[in-house]
Amino acid sequence: MKLTFRVLLGRILFGLAVFLVLAGVLIPYLWMVSGSFKTTLEIQSADVLKPELSPRWFPRKFTWENYLRVNRTVRMLDYFRNSIIISVGTMVFSVGISLFAAYALSRFTFSWKRMYTLAVLSTQMFPGISFLIPYFMMFVLIKHYLGLPMQNTYWGMIFTYTSFALPFSILMLRNFLDSIPREIDEQAQIDGCTPSGALFRVILPLAKPGIAAVGIYSFIMAWNEVLFATVLTGRETKTVALGLLEYITAQQARWAGMMAACILVSIPVLVLFSLMQRYIIEGLVAGATKG
Amino acid sequence: MSSRAKGRRAFRFILPALLCMLFVHVIPIFWGAYIAFIDLDIYTITRWMQAPFVGLRNFFTVFSPATDVGVRYLRSIWNVVYFGLVTIPAGYFIGLLVALLLNRKFFGRTLVRGLILLPYITPDSVAYNVWRFIFQARIGIVNKYLLALGLIEEPIIWLVGDRAIYAVMIASVWKGWPFACLVLLAGLQSIPQELYEAARIDGASSFGLFRFVTFPMLRPVSATLLLLSAIWNFHAFNQFYILLGADPGKAHVPSTFILQEAFTNFHFGQGAAMSVFLTVVVLLMTVAILQVRKRGEEW
Repeated sequence: MKLTFRVLLGRILFGLAVFLVLAGVLIPYLWMVSGSFKTTLEIQSADVLKPELSPRWFPRKFTWENYLRVNRTVRMLDYFRNSIIISVGTMVFSVGISLFAAYALSRFTFSWKRMYTLAVLSTQMFPGISFLIPYFMMFVLIKHYLGLPMQNTYWGMIFTYTSFALPFSILMLRNFLDSIPREIDEQAQIDGCTPSGALFRVILPLAKPGIAAVGIYSFIMAWNEVLFATVLTGRETKTVALGLLEYITAQQARWAGMMAACILVSIPVLVLFSLMQRYIIEGLVAGATKG
Repeated sequence: MSSRAKGRRAFRFILPALLCMLFVHVIPIFWGAYIAFIDLDIYTITRWMQAPFVGLRNFFTVFSPATDVGVRYLRSIWNVVYFGLVTIPAGYFIGLLVALLLNRKFFGRTLVRGLILLPYITPDSVAYNVWRFIFQARIGIVNKYLLALGLIEEPIIWLVGDRAIYAVMIASVWKGWPFACLVLLAGLQSIPQELYEAARIDGASSFGLFRFVTFPMLRPVSATLLLLSAIWNFHAFNQFYILLGADPGKAHVPSTFILQEAFTNFHFGQGAAMSVFLTVVVLLMTVAILQVRKRGEEW
């Protein structure tokens, strides 16, 4: 194509537009990274009204302190341990439970299939606050009548988050299993496998990408949840999402420490997501368009 | 195999998932509806059977413009509606524009697509804490650049008072538009190229292509996306709680307000009444979306 003025102008405008979009997306991240390398003193003494103290993109004094001493003011390492235990637990249970349910939805025909799918879909619609109060009461009463502590325990949180992750996991895994030809497990059953035998010996190896995507989705969901965590976790089980809020108290604002912690909290999520990006995105888009 | 045996076999496979749904979704929804009719507080919580039944009183209280709770609850409902009316269209239009932009082939497209997903996959707790830092009055960059551009004389207090909800809107749109973009990009890619060719042969301009091919073809996916966003808008909690704290004052939304009423002031009954109203609204909207979907695709 001849590079006419018009084409050139079009390309420049296009490049400019892409640049603007990227700038809009990336500026908060740059600010986060820059803040994480500043000293607390530099951030606290900043003042937008005084040009010499105006907040800057490049730290005046570059420091690793915020990363090295991440556990000093806020017990961030404990919160990391709590989040890892709860998220991994959620991942394991959510994968296990959704695999069976998804297999039944994908392979069996039964009269209440449509009704069940609808019910699973609709549970995703209700805001968490719809069940938070009775759910909290249930925890209190289980402790009161059965003596089994639920609030501020790992299993209480894992059970809660597993149930939150299930609707999406089941539907996503069902879509994935639907894409595996039925003939394969029919053949396995002819060869003498039971349905669950076919599921474990034949389907499981084929469904690995779908299972990984569901597991990662569940992990991230538990890692990020805030609302139920504010009520149901306590000192021993507090997760990273809530821990970040502790950097700002009525007495002190430790923004530099918080920005460093923010980066550490994001890393597992970003790494896991990029591992299974394609499948999770397909699932999310299908969730919004197909159900 | 008989249909009952088939049903039983499926039931065995689905049972664990059913139990989870039962304990976390079904029982709490109905129980919550019951709590809304009793006067439950911190003292009666373990003897909830004895908490006095008060009929519709909780509902009258939370909807009455004469009580403090009522005023604040009604305001929180208005806030979440207002919030949705601004952020959903804004997110949709930014998403659509960027989707149209990225639907072209260019060098580095995969990288750009990956980067624009960042806000969507960043944990809410991280993203909104960073925005909280950005919106700080004396140390934040928003005020720095507004001052530099001469748009304001004094640093603005963003996160308290009347402006708080706008700060939350900005952060939420930033976080939310990539999802709309993703869905619309998938929609754009499913449009058959022949339609464009045919339209071009008929002499359509590039605006005509958008108006008569792209836009109608994106309609079903847009309808579902917008309806889902409208429902999920009632979930709004993280952005308000993280940016504005446990008590957003005038900028409460139902989730933050119910949390505060129930777990700071221990008005469980009134909190449940407010939750029940939300549940009913969401239920009605879900029925609406299922109707729209039924017309589209059979699943």
